Order: sequence, then C-alpha cells, then structure tokens
Amino acid sequence: MFSALLKRELMVARRNWIGIVIPLFFFVMVVSLFPFGVSPEAPTLQKIAPGIIWVAALLATLLSLEQFYRSDYQDGSLEQTLLIAGPTQVASAKILAHWLLTGLPLVIISPLLGILMQINHGFTDSTHTWVLMLSLLLGTPTLCLIGAIGMSLALAANRNGMLVAILVLPLYVPILIFGTSTVTASLENFSYNGQLAILAALLMIALVVSPFAAGRALKISVS
Amino acid sequence: MTNKGLLASDLTISRAEHVLLEGAELELAPSTVTYLYGENGAGKTSLMRCLSGLLQADSGKIHWNGQSITSLDSEYFQDLIFLAHALSMKAELTIYENLSFYAHLRGVKDPRALIDKATLQLGIGQLQNRRFAELSAGQQHKVALCRLVIEPAKIWILDEPFVNLDKGTRHWLANLIQDFAKQGGVVLFTSHHEIAELAIDQRIGIEH
Repeated sequence: MFSALLKRELMVARRNWIGIVIPLFFFVMVVSLFPFGVSPEAPTLQKIAPGIIWVAALLATLLSLEQFYRSDYQDGSLEQTLLIAGPTQVASAKILAHWLLTGLPLVIISPLLGILMQINHGFTDSTHTWVLMLSLLLGTPTLCLIGAIGMSLALAANRNGMLVAILVLPLYVPILIFGTSTVTASLENFSYNGQLAILAALLMIALVVSPFAAGRALKISVS
Repeated sequence: MTNKGLLASDLTISRAEHVLLEGAELELAPSTVTYLYGENGAGKTSLMRCLSGLLQADSGKIHWNGQSITSLDSEYFQDLIFLAHALSMKAELTIYENLSFYAHLRGVKDPRALIDKATLQLGIGQLQNRRFAELSAGQQHKVALCRLVIEPAKIWILDEPFVNLDKGTRHWLANLIQDFAKQGGVVLFTSHHEIAELAIDQRIGIEH
C-alpha cells in the first residue's frame, strides 16, 4: 500500500516537474545573489555561507509544501487515500515523496553552492562541502516532516500557505541553528559531531511524531 | 461469518451548528439497494460521509458486521467504496494509472484485465493512456465509476452516481448495482430522481 502511494506521488511529480524545479531554482538563485549583493571576497562569503545556504534551503522547503498537499485535497483523492490506506500511511508516503523530490535535490546541488560561496580552500579540499551535505541530509527530512504537520493543519483550518509559514517557521529554528553551526564549526576547524548528533536526534523525534500528527490533521481536514 | 450489514443507531449530525439529523436509525442489510433522497442541503452527503467514516457524528454508533467501524478501521474501510462528488483522480495521470493506483491500494496485484474490462464496458477502453485532465466531464465520470468494477468491496456508498451520465451508462450502472446487491453487497446511493432501471429495496428520506 505504501509503495503504491509513494509511486503515485512520484508519477504525479514527474508529470508536474515544474513544481519540483521551482524550489530548487529558488534555492540556487537566492544563494547565488549574495556574492553579488554582499561581497565576492572569500572570507566574507565563507563567514555567511552556512547561514545563507541553510535559510535558503528552509525557505525552498516551505515553498514546495503547498503543492504536495493542496491538489490532493482539492481533487478529492486525499479523502479516498485516507479511507483506504489510513492517515499515518498517507502522511508518511507524502512526506517521503516530498523529501525525495525537494529535499534530496537540495542536498545534491549544495556542493555547487559551496563552490559559489567559496567554503573550501581550493578545489582539492572538499571537507566543508561534505559537512554541508551531511548537515542538509540530516536537516532537510526534518524540515519536510515538520512542514507536513503545518500544511496538514492549514488544510484542516482551510487556510493558505501563510498560516503554514507562521506555524512552521518557529519550529524550524532549532534545525537552522544546528545546521548552520555544524557547517560553521567545520569552517573554523572545530568538532561538529555534537551538532550533527543533535540534527540526527531532531530527525528521529520528527520521524516518530510527524507522520502520526500530520495524518491526524489530514483526517480532520477532510471531515 | 454472515455479513450483518451496516447499522447506524441514534445518529446525530450537525454542520456549522445546524442540526441535520437527530437520533437517526439506519439499517443497510446485505443484498439490498437503498435509495437516500432529500432536498439540497438536507444532509444526504453529510450522512454518507458519516457512514464512510469521513465525518464524525455528534453522537450515535455505526456498526459494520456487528462491530463498531471505529474499532476496526482497516477492515471496514477495505470493504467500503465511497464515491463522492469529487472524482478523486489525479489530472496528471492517465486513466490506467489512476485506476491501477486504486486497485493496488486494495491489494489487487495485476489489475490490467479488470481495467480493460471496465473501460471497455464504458466505452473508454481506447482512452486508457490518455491523461485524466484531457477527458470530457462525462468521460471523467465514467473513469470514477470504473472503480466499482476494479476494486473488491462489500459495501458501496455512492453520492449522486447517476449525475451527468448518458442513457447507456445509466443502464450499465443500474445493472452493476443490481448484480453487486445480488452477490450480497450493500448499496446506499443518492439521487435527485428515482432511477427507473434500478430495483430499489429500501427508501430513506431526509427532511429539513
């Protein structure tokens, strides 16, 4: 059942690829504006890079949330899948598909932005890029998991994306703090294991809570 | 075990502080076709959504086969097909992809033959690879009806299934409902007009 739900999400996204490309394009565009707007100097860019990349990733995730839930709600397929597969399973499949289609591409493209923001000392040193990718790999699923709760509650309240932003942004703050500080610690040659462990712990908590909470909210949204 | 059907007792449903039904009793026995009628806004859809588990009743109990539907969610919902006003199909997917998705959700491993059968019967067999968004309103409605052939179920709750159908499709649907009931199925449907082609076992009216 889960695989059928996931497969359908991926098929719909493939046909509606523009919706997937826009958040990725937004992520790249926002980050690439900073060297023009702030300074092209490596020390300045290096200093602001973790925060910029993480804030852009966070906003890109937020931007993509609406399309993943709203269309199913409007065409009636949300209530049908909730009836047949159950709320937790539907929410889990949607969250996984959302991360695979919007979170994972951000992780994959982040080395390019690392180069743009000059986080490494030359092309041969890629340590900081790996740390950036690892922090996003642990952080972006949590962003999707928390976002799913916010979007499901917004559907339940029959409200638009602005409510999602208000609900979700405060919950994103810990991920932003630890994601940014992981990369900053790496750039300053400090240990970053603690920050990564906290990001992993936040992911675990979200994995346990979010599918259930989002599922319940989705069920309320169709009633 | 013999199916005892769907039983709703002392059901009270309200929407936006307006009481639609109060203390309603309803019994849908196996092998029966029940016609639910009433004016617009009387509460037919709310009752159907409530019986489908999508809407929480203010009070009352609903039992499927002798057990509360809230105590065995998955079994009741695997037995149920609820066709609502919204057709519940993805515009981006083809007819085949949409129908095979629902079949897989119901545990039908290879739905090809069933989809071929249903779409051919409804005259949309040659359109299987066409996207849902590219179909006419009537064809879209037929795709939603194909679910009744493809998905295994024991109870059908159908909200206005005869709307927008041509004569041939009305006849086909009436026969399908009749056959399903003969095989022990439970059917509850709404319509603004009585369907001449369909033998109805029970009529339930809702008044304002």
